[in-house]
Amino acid sequence: MNARTVNAPTQKCMVAVRLGLLPVAVAFAAFGCTGANVVVNTVVPSPLVESLPLRVGVFFDESLRGYVHEETVEDHGDFRIELGSVQVPVFERAFDALFEETVALSSIEATDGVAAVIVPVFEQLQFSIPAQTRGQFFEVWIKYRIDVFGSDGELLTSWALPAYGKSNERNFGFMEDSKGSGLTEASVWALRDAAAHLSLYFPRVPEVAELVQGGQG
Amino acid sequence: MKAIQLPATLRALIVGAIGICAASLSGCVTATVQEVREAETGMTEGDRVVVIGRRHKTRSETETDFIDCVSDQLTRNREPVNVMSEGEFVDSVFPWFEPLVAPLEVDDLSHVISKPLVAERIDEIGVRYLVWIEGHTERTAEAGRLTCNVISGAIPACIGFLTWDNDSNYEASIWDVRTGINAGRVSTEASGTSFVPAVVVPIPIIARVRQSACTSLSDQLQAFLVSES
Repeated sequence: MNARTVNAPTQKCMVAVRLGLLPVAVAFAAFGCTGANVVVNTVVPSPLVESLPLRVGVFFDESLRGYVHEETVEDHGDFRIELGSVQVPVFERAFDALFEETVALSSIEATDGVAAVIVPVFEQLQFSIPAQTRGQFFEVWIKYRIDVFGSDGELLTSWALPAYGKSNERNFGFMEDSKGSGLTEASVWALRDAAAHLSLYFPRVPEVAELVQGGQG
Repeated sequence: MKAIQLPATLRALIVGAIGICAASLSGCVTATVQEVREAETGMTEGDRVVVIGRRHKTRSETETDFIDCVSDQLTRNREPVNVMSEGEFVDSVFPWFEPLVAPLEVDDLSHVISKPLVAERIDEIGVRYLVWIEGHTERTAEAGRLTCNVISGAIPACIGFLTWDNDSNYEASIWDVRTGINAGRVSTEASGTSFVPAVVVPIPIIARVRQSACTSLSDQLQAFLVSES
């Protein structure tokens, strides 16, 4: 007979041990020590907002196209969150709804007769897992900056766009890899939050409001 | 202790017994429901209901499977209600019901539905009532110990006794989107104790507290929504 004592790191492990499911407990212990590899793939809906009467150019730089966040969390393993491919469509859909006409630009200089050039820039991503915060949420914070250039190339404003997403650990099943699923879901909510804030609050930025007034005048 | 090699038939019987016990035994749950009505309700053909969870807090968020459970039960009751899923609704009116921008009070709802595009979309999808759910289920106490050993033949042999209490507490606020008013509230409290006694085979006797809260809340909601008063 093999008597086993498992000093499990998570509640799931403890439940499994109590119910006599040692192989399951060992599997959870293994999940607990590894990180997660997350590839975010989602379609954020087109915002339901009134379009601003402007023709603007939008340029997406490399920070948005290929971003991968890699981080080692002590005692919890290596985490990799790949956001790159999903961010551009999120911003494209938001800008298409926000402005009467948008033009995809190949560079900031190629202004193509637009009223302004908008450049969303990725700045930072942070995340936390429930084991770090002793809470029940996976959380993702993303910080973007929206640069707005006039038709003459002058920087009119740099607007900070923070985004936040969370995901409840309790929503994942007993056998599910909650780290991967939790961070994926939190990232998706963060992207939705970015699109929501952009579509609701960007028109209130004074320089953008001025552009609209100038365009109408 | 001498390792015992159990015949395959006996092993199958033990595994089967565990499954049957788990499926058939359930602990007792007590549930209470309260209702506060502030306005008349009623549904006409084409009216839909959305059951939606509050997501703006950083603690005690309602479980998504509870929201799904209430939505599902509303469609299965004797007088089924036409329910639109939470996901479909928040996508259709994006971004107005995202966690950090969704209206918290019914007065804020008036502001949102005053937007022509939003009003048009809500009319198009036929949503008449928004049912906001808050609350959660938590384990309030636990005791006991259960030890399992693996004997040869990969059969776990367990001995001990585990018990725990779960409490559910949920409140649903019903907003009439057409009139922009709060029609009332329905709340439920449920509690129950689960046990796992084990002499060789653990026999879980689980109190399905959250399921009970879901059933009682959705039954009351259904009555609240369809019956005019």
